[in-house]
Parts: sequence; structure tokens; C-alpha cells
Amino acid sequence: MHLSDRITGGFLVLLGALAFWGGSRLPAVPGQDVGPAVFPMVVGGGLALCGALIVLGIGHSFEDEETEPVEAHEGLARWLGAWRALAAFVPPALLLFYVLASEALGFLPTAFVMVAVAALSLGASPRLALAMAVAAPPVVHLVFYKLLRVPLPAGILPAPW
Amino acid sequence: MTAFLEAMRLVAAPDVLIAIMASAVYGLVVGSLPGLSATMATALLVPVTFYLSPIAAVATIITASAMAIFSGDIPGALMRIPGTPASAAYTDEAYAMTRKGQAELALGAGLWFSAIGGIVGTLSLVLMAPALAEMALSFSTFEYFWLAFLGLMCATLVARSSPIKAIAAMLLGLLFACIGIENPGGVPRFTLGITDLLGGIEPIPALVGVFAVSEVMRAMTTPEPPPLPRRRFGSILAGQWALTKKYQWPMWRGNIVGIIIGVLPGAGADMAAWVSYATAKRFSKEPEKFGTGHPEGLVEAGASNNASLASGWVPSLLFGIPGDTITAIAIGVLYMKGLNPGPTLFTERASSMYALYIIFVLANIIMIPLGIVMIRAASLVLRAPRSAVMPVIVLLCAVGAFATGNNLFSVLLVGLFGIVGFVMERNGYPVAALVLGIVMGTMVEQNFVTSLIKSDGDVLPFFERPVSSVLAAMTIAALLWPAAVWAIRRLRPAEAAR
Repeated sequence: MHLSDRITGGFLVLLGALAFWGGSRLPAVPGQDVGPAVFPMVVGGGLALCGALIVLGIGHSFEDEETEPVEAHEGLARWLGAWRALAAFVPPALLLFYVLASEALGFLPTAFVMVAVAALSLGASPRLALAMAVAAPPVVHLVFYKLLRVPLPAGILPAPW
Repeated sequence: MTAFLEAMRLVAAPDVLIAIMASAVYGLVVGSLPGLSATMATALLVPVTFYLSPIAAVATIITASAMAIFSGDIPGALMRIPGTPASAAYTDEAYAMTRKGQAELALGAGLWFSAIGGIVGTLSLVLMAPALAEMALSFSTFEYFWLAFLGLMCATLVARSSPIKAIAAMLLGLLFACIGIENPGGVPRFTLGITDLLGGIEPIPALVGVFAVSEVMRAMTTPEPPPLPRRRFGSILAGQWALTKKYQWPMWRGNIVGIIIGVLPGAGADMAAWVSYATAKRFSKEPEKFGTGHPEGLVEAGASNNASLASGWVPSLLFGIPGDTITAIAIGVLYMKGLNPGPTLFTERASSMYALYIIFVLANIIMIPLGIVMIRAASLVLRAPRSAVMPVIVLLCAVGAFATGNNLFSVLLVGLFGIVGFVMERNGYPVAALVLGIVMGTMVEQNFVTSLIKSDGDVLPFFERPVSSVLAAMTIAALLWPAAVWAIRRLRPAEAAR
């Protein structure tokens, strides 16, 4: 996900301008000059300024020279080939899966899928992935549900404790 | 004295002692695994601290972070991969020592001087905090505004990246903090009509996302580090006393520099290690030996990063302004446990403060035996394949975020902040500045707006009170520092090229 300074800087200019505009439209506190609008406007203005400076390449000399990290050639990254950078999005996708599925499926099955997918994506052997996916969720469930009393959803497979 | 005895009793409670032992082991293991930083270890602990007594909760954070900062030295020395960013400054040096067959000396120095640094840092906390508390009682919103702003500026200075990008990251954090209805007008701000955003963005999901999820994301696209060769270690502590005597000066300099950097709001252990390694080289009698496996820099920087850890609690406890990312997390826990930071903490809750000091000293003492066990077990722990560790981290991120408020929206936030952190890191935007922006946003805004209301929109009173004018000068100096560095480099190109 390496983007040029122009893209990230440009994005910041846009975001800063939006924050400034959004801030300026906030209702003021009656009888007060200074209200909820001031801070977002200051921050948004600053952000837009920084973004513009980044686009112009100011401050670039302070950065370490570009070191492109060595790309992984194992697990999902190998399977994806030229699209291997996309493998990075597996963890947030798994968190999204947890949000969508944990209520219906329950904690144990959801966690099983998450651990198995993450392990396989990182290049674990199927045996290791299966072992982790079977062993880890009950331990986590035991600690958080029993010891810390976090109401983890039971779903289709309630834990025996 | 009664307060001190009361503190002893608080610490000696079985739940506190168990919490210290368990979090010590946890900190050592997590810190030693490459890619899992001390901040991440602490962030993942927070959901657990919800369910502990106040002293036990603070004890887990203190112990785990101290252990993790030391244990980051282990993979640094053995594999040339720093376990935590705070070890990165001297990883090459420690690895060079290992190649020379002095692995024991390198690891022992990390352990021994970490413990010394931690204890000296604690002493500074004990001595400094009450004196500063006295002063802090007279602070008004102007001083608090400058102090918070100074903290944010320091966070951008230490980032070893483009200062403009660091400031942008910090402002982005402040912008995230604007979300919600907790603002001077009490109106929903930037909530995009999403009910879950009305309460604002909690720092914990943001921290877990930025420090833990983004690390797993990075693991997905980088190859697995090579396995650690098995080795047998000789005595770990042999030769440390000789090193202590030989490098007494660097050790003290490291302690003091660490303390100063720790006290500065916003700058923490990473920065302390880099600065101390550089000063060790600068003032050494034999600077040519640096980089070839010379313990001097290790002594100074190893002491420095642990000293900064303890003194980082000074601004956190006094003003609620984090000294680094770890104390940024700790402040959240303090509030949750009713130990609200502020100068009155030292007068009204003196026994809790003493308990905190005792825990610090205790943690640094048990670090030595536990650290030796950890070094000997390192080849075992570090052989755990990444593909087995990282999936568990993902699961802990989900459950931990859920546990902070029992709602699924936090889990979603963790995922989103993982992406934000990953993209920022890859493009040279320091994430620590973002996190401090998020943590301190509400406080900065409150003091800024209150001050503006008091002064009728005038900026001049911000500079009129004596302490606030000094803080303002420091902040502006921090802001202009990169420009000065740039100008000096320009004027003296010959020296820069050397």
C-alpha cells in the first residue's frame, strides 16, 4: 500500500478542507463567540496546510530513504501472486466477519474460522492451522467469559462451562 | 509513614501479587516476539484490567510494559530483529556482540542496565512528582493548553520521519477526537448520523487497531523471520559488575537522559534509546568501536529506555498528559479506576501513589531473575511460528475490543484503525503521533476553548502568565526545530556529508 506523497498529501488537503467546512457549519453556543466550531476549523486548516506542504515535498529530506519491505512468498501472499499486497487486508476482514457473524454463529465457531483463516493466510500447514483453531478459541473464551465475565455470544455452539 | 505502610499492604494483597507475576511473564513473552511491541502488549491488557482492583490494574500495566521493554532486547541481540521499537537503536550493536560470541554479555547488559534504569527512573518519579504537583496546583487552562500542545509537538519531534507528516498525523488524531457530542456546544460533531459515533472514538479500539491489527497486517505481506538457532548460554550476569564500574558515567548519563525524555510529554522509550545511543557514541573515548560489538552504547541506551518508562508517568499522573504511548493507555485505566490524574492525586490518594512506586521497584527487581529465565527459554519461545501467534492476536483484538464496552462497533473500529495505521506506517506517517492526538484531543480542545472564552477570543493572554509563556516558548521552539535543523544542514553541507 505504498502511495506517493502527492496522493496522501492531497487526501489530507481534502480531509482538512472538509473538516474546516463541516466545522464552520456547526451551530454556535448562543451568546458565545467561541463554540464547538473553533477547534475543528483550526485542526482542519492545519491539516490542509500540512497536506499542501507534503504535496510540495517539503520535509521529505527528513525521511529515511525508501526501503521497500521484502514481499512474503508464503501462504496467501504466494497464492495471490501479483496481488499479494491484498493479503494485508485479511485481518480487518476477519474482524468484520466477527462483527457480522458472532451474534448468529456464537463465539466458538466464529473464532474457529478466524484463527484457521488467519493461520492459513500466514502460511501455516493445515495441521497447525486446525490445531490452533481448535485449541485457541476455548482458552480465550474461558479467560474472557469465565474469569472476566465478558458476555460472549453463545450462538449455535454454547461452551460447556 | 502510615500512608507508606498502607501502600505496602495494598501491594502485598494476593490479587496484586498474582497480577504482577502473570503480567511479568506476559510482558516478557510478548516483548520478545518480534513485531509485538510493548505498547501492543499494554493495549491488549486493558480489557483485562477492567476486571481487576485499581492497584492490581495499574500493577499489570507497569510490570508488563517494563518487562516488554527489556525483553525486546532478546531477539535484537540474537536475531538482529528488535522485539520492540525501543530496542531498535542498539540492535545492530547487540547482534555484533553475539557474532563475537558475547551473547551472554549483550543480553546480560540489556537486563542489568534495564533494571538499574527502571529503579533510577522510579526514584526520579518519587522525587519529582510531589514537587511538581505543588506547582501544578496553580496551573490554569492556559498552562494546561500549552502543556498538552507541547506534548503533541514532542510526539512529532521524536518521530524520526518528516516533521510535516508527523504533524499531519497528530492533527488527524485531533480530528478523530472531534467526533462525538463531547464538545463545548454539546452538539453531534462529524458523526455522519451514526449513533455509535455519538459517544466519540474511544482511545482503546484505536490503540489496539493501530498497534496490533496493523502489525498482523504487516506480517501478512512480509516473510517470516528465520528461526532462532538453538544455543546454550553461559552465566548471564557474569561481567555485568565490571561493566557497571567501567561504564559508570555512560550509565548515569543514560539514566538522566532517559528521565528527561520520559518527563517530556509525548516522548518515550524509543526516543530515549536513540538519543542515549547517540550521546554514548559522541562522548565515548573509543567511538570507533561502536557498531562492532562494543557494550558502551548498550549500557547507556539500555538504562535510558527503562528510565524513561518510569519518568513518563510524571506528566501522566500530574496532568493527565501521557509521557508516551504506554502511559497514554495507562491514563485511560487510571480514569476507569477512579484514580483520576491530577495534582490532588498526590495529596488525597498518597497511599495509592506509594503503592505505585513500590510496584515499579518490585517489577524492576523481579525483572532480573525472570529475565534470566526468559533469556534461557528464548530459543523455545522464539521458535513459535508466526502463523500460530498472529491468529491468536487477531482473536484477542476482537475479544478485547468487544470487552471494552460489550458492543460490536468497537470491533469494527479496531479493524478500521488497523487499516489506517497500516497505510500510515507504509507511507511514513508516524502512528504514535496519531494516537497521542486521539488520546489528548478532548483535553486540548477543552483547555483551548475555555481559555479563548476567558480571554474573549484574544490570543495575547495565552502568553501573559509566567509559566504559560515559558511553555509557549518551548512549544514554539519544538515547532521551529525541524526548520532550524534543515537550515543548519543547508549551511554546512560539508559537515553533513561527513
